[in-house]
Amino acid sequence: MSASTIESSARPLAPARATPTWSRWANDHRKWLFAAPAMAFVAVLIVFPVAWTVWLSLTDAEGSVRAEHSFIGLGNYLTVLTDTTRFWPAVLRTLEFTGGVLVVEVVLGMAIALLLWRPFRCEKWVRVAILLPLVATPVAVGMMWRLIFDPNIGLANTVLGWFGIGPQPWLAGEQSALPTTMLIDIWQWTPMVVLILLAGLTSLSDEPLEAALIDGAGAWQRFRHIILPLMMPTVIVAILLRGIDALKTFDILYATKGKGGGSFHEVETLNVYAYGLSFDYNEYGISSTVLIIFFLIIVGSMWVLTSRKKEAA
Amino acid sequence: MLRRQFVIGTSLAVAAALGLSACGGGEDQEAGSKTLRVTLANHVWTDNIKKALPEFENQTGLKVELTQLGEDQLSDQYNVKLNAGSGDIDVMMYRPLQEGKLFAKNGYLADLTAKTKSNADWAWSDFQAGPVAATTYKDKVVGVPIITEQEVLYYRKDLLQKAGITAPPKTLDELKAAAAKVSAANPGVAGFVARTGKTAAVTQFSSFLYSFGGDFVDANGKATVNSPAAKQAYAFYGGLIKDLGPKNVSTDMGWPEAMAIFTQGKAAFYTEADSLYKNATDPAKSKVADSVGFAPFPAGPAGSKAYNVPSWALGVNAASENQDNAWKFIEWATSKTQTLANQKAGVPGARTSVWADPAGTSTYPKDLADAIAASTPTGVGHDRPLVVKVAAAREIVGQPIVDAITGKDAAASADAANTAFQTFLDSEK
Amino acid sequence: MRARTPFTVFRVVALTVVVLTLIAPLVWMVAASLKTNVDIYDPGKALAFTPTLENYTKVLQQANYVDFIVNSLWIAFASTVLSLLIGVPAAYSMSRFAMRRSALVVLMARVIPAVSLLVPWYYVFSNLKMVGGFSVLILSHMFVALPLIVYIMMGYFDGLPLELEESALVDGLTPIGAFRRITLPLSTPGIATAGILSFIFSWNNFMFALVLSGADTKTLPVAIFDFVGYASIDWGGLMAASTVVTVPIMVIALFAQKYVVSGLTAGATKG
Repeated sequence: MSASTIESSARPLAPARATPTWSRWANDHRKWLFAAPAMAFVAVLIVFPVAWTVWLSLTDAEGSVRAEHSFIGLGNYLTVLTDTTRFWPAVLRTLEFTGGVLVVEVVLGMAIALLLWRPFRCEKWVRVAILLPLVATPVAVGMMWRLIFDPNIGLANTVLGWFGIGPQPWLAGEQSALPTTMLIDIWQWTPMVVLILLAGLTSLSDEPLEAALIDGAGAWQRFRHIILPLMMPTVIVAILLRGIDALKTFDILYATKGKGGGSFHEVETLNVYAYGLSFDYNEYGISSTVLIIFFLIIVGSMWVLTSRKKEAA
Repeated sequence: MLRRQFVIGTSLAVAAALGLSACGGGEDQEAGSKTLRVTLANHVWTDNIKKALPEFENQTGLKVELTQLGEDQLSDQYNVKLNAGSGDIDVMMYRPLQEGKLFAKNGYLADLTAKTKSNADWAWSDFQAGPVAATTYKDKVVGVPIITEQEVLYYRKDLLQKAGITAPPKTLDELKAAAAKVSAANPGVAGFVARTGKTAAVTQFSSFLYSFGGDFVDANGKATVNSPAAKQAYAFYGGLIKDLGPKNVSTDMGWPEAMAIFTQGKAAFYTEADSLYKNATDPAKSKVADSVGFAPFPAGPAGSKAYNVPSWALGVNAASENQDNAWKFIEWATSKTQTLANQKAGVPGARTSVWADPAGTSTYPKDLADAIAASTPTGVGHDRPLVVKVAAAREIVGQPIVDAITGKDAAASADAANTAFQTFLDSEK
Repeated sequence: MRARTPFTVFRVVALTVVVLTLIAPLVWMVAASLKTNVDIYDPGKALAFTPTLENYTKVLQQANYVDFIVNSLWIAFASTVLSLLIGVPAAYSMSRFAMRRSALVVLMARVIPAVSLLVPWYYVFSNLKMVGGFSVLILSHMFVALPLIVYIMMGYFDGLPLELEESALVDGLTPIGAFRRITLPLSTPGIATAGILSFIFSWNNFMFALVLSGADTKTLPVAIFDFVGYASIDWGGLMAASTVVTVPIMVIALFAQKYVVSGLTAGATKG
């Protein structure tokens, strides 16, 4: 970056010209002139769907959105919030999935980031390896893992066999399916946490650590009392970025277990449930209600995290 | 750094060049009425029609724009596009028993009654009555059946012989005994395999249900999935897979997974739709191609009652502005010639004359043709509950199947399913 | 350098395990794409097999994959460029004038569940006769790219010192001129990061393309799903298709490694 700084400031600047009125106007209003197109774009694409979803959630729409439907107030919300067979289990699964992958990804990510912190030979290759899962297309990743986790022909059971462990059902098992999809998520997204935390580690200043070394603090003590507190804001950013995506995970679940999240809905999260309600059952009213509750859950958890971030900073 | 920027710059430039050239071809906005937009599912039928398509285009001067999708993406697309009232599909391949009622009720499917009567040579009366009933909604014809299916028993001749069994089982009890015998004689080979996914299994389970004397709904429209016959059928189907099925059996198997186990030589018996037989007898797809045998669905206490249904049909999108040309395509694709060609390529059709024609079954394995002929008279015209929201209904009546497979109390599960199913039926009234 | 032995050994072993775990599945995918279906089902041929390009010929011939690759490239490229055009100035304004609430409006696009957008969008776009063309896909992918770009670029502009712009104003440039002639050239690395990331996200997007693409505009991820059709489960073909989707984006990512890394970590180091 320093090179380009010199280059551009060395370039002779154009002499100031007499400014026409429209240009003065543009300069005076540049704040909104710059911001407005992007905001308008998002607003135009979002306002109608949100209004439509809110309206549908208050009606009994089903079958087709163009079919006649009538206003039923908060009836859908009552139905959904008292539904203990599909809705609440889906909420729990969403939280279990998100919480589970976040904990593992942050712990593993921190460990790997610490391993990568100080320079070493072959560093470049390790970084390449870390990048690959991250950019792989999720649908392709889902297909790949379906083959690997196939109970009969998959690599996973072959590898377990080398260690004398019997075959596991993986994605096929009622209990093991959700943890298996979590494993896939962890494989794909731990690298992202590593990169975020590594950036944080690299920007730490050396002084507190050196002081601690002189005081004779052990590795764990240095981590626990110096690195971790300093890294807290970065950790929360990582959780925030990953958390939104983890809550909304869809591609991998759809690619590995299909609609409804399996025969026992074993991987049916809120996103998968809402998709099924819309596209499998054509229950547009209920589906919209679930989507709005889901949206509130995402916004709520983001809000909690952002306020934690401010505290930690 | 400079070099890297150069590389990025070049690749972006290449991308741009490629993209612009694609754009020129893709975005012809006004697709005139000479262009027909046809949406089809991935199926052997579609492959055959695709090959014959130039013939249609030459005959009519129309240009066919074909979209081909997997089964699930297809229904997702319909649910979005037809829902929005879009006219950019003209001809649509759909599943009469799965989406037919819903689509017809929502008014997505154009009324074809007059068109079916317009051409005597094409002969609407030639189509089998069962399939036609499934593509008719409130006395209006909304689709033309193209593929029919029956459930038959696939088995491995070599394994049976090795176990000393001379003929395929005629009853479900014999099937169970034979499966046990074969798997005992061949370690690593399952006695029986079939679909296990909650919704996927419902159709293949239905023949078991009928053969035990049950059905999903009785004549008065009451749910009957907890009748003694239904409970027996659930326990039998689930037990067969639990005790004699593949180890580590998943409860997600649709036909591709179950078929893979059979064609890899890992199972002796397999109950499945006849329309998929090519997967088992084609050496490129099956390791056991030369030892597959077919038999009619084994008889239960109520006899051998396999389903016999139209699995796919062609319809015209009601919002299409090109309905006459759409009908031309349907007329051509469902003509006697095309039906015969398709049936020869392994796709059972819905035309009586083609079935009566010896050429129609000439390419079939003889035992398969016999099995189809034997079970047609007793066939049942549905393989899933005939309701509007089929997907939801299949989940309800499929629950006891997976519960039975995983060793839970199938009878209790059937009782629970029946209550839920009754509520569901009441809600549809 | 002091505690060389035990920690170094541990570090090498641990990193080797990490790298193997991350790479092995991808290697397996590529290996399976080079096997016949019969070999895939044979555990004895897990690693020792005769490679064949049969699956690739099948994929490339049967399914017009080249068209889908071109579609994916074009949509990703156009949506990235357009998003940069409106996203970069917006991020600049939002950073310089601390418009945090306005930024939230744009970031909302990242938070809202995509399922709730599909049917309404389709409804509107089909009434505008836009469905089936590239424009609707590009718009939907911009919706994914824009918040990403605004988020990354805001972080970038926050980190740029104000002094240079101020001295340019003293030299007689207008504020917009200063943005164009001073700030933008300085931000090339940031823009590259944001652009490449939005390209990757657009390339990988599945749900919008699944619903909004037509016969001529189908993207690669949707095309893979065609292999899970009604006629057979073809693991070899699926893995070949998955490889075809994944490899181009990986190559791009490798060339652009540095930018991708700083893009993904944008905002991580600020409080």
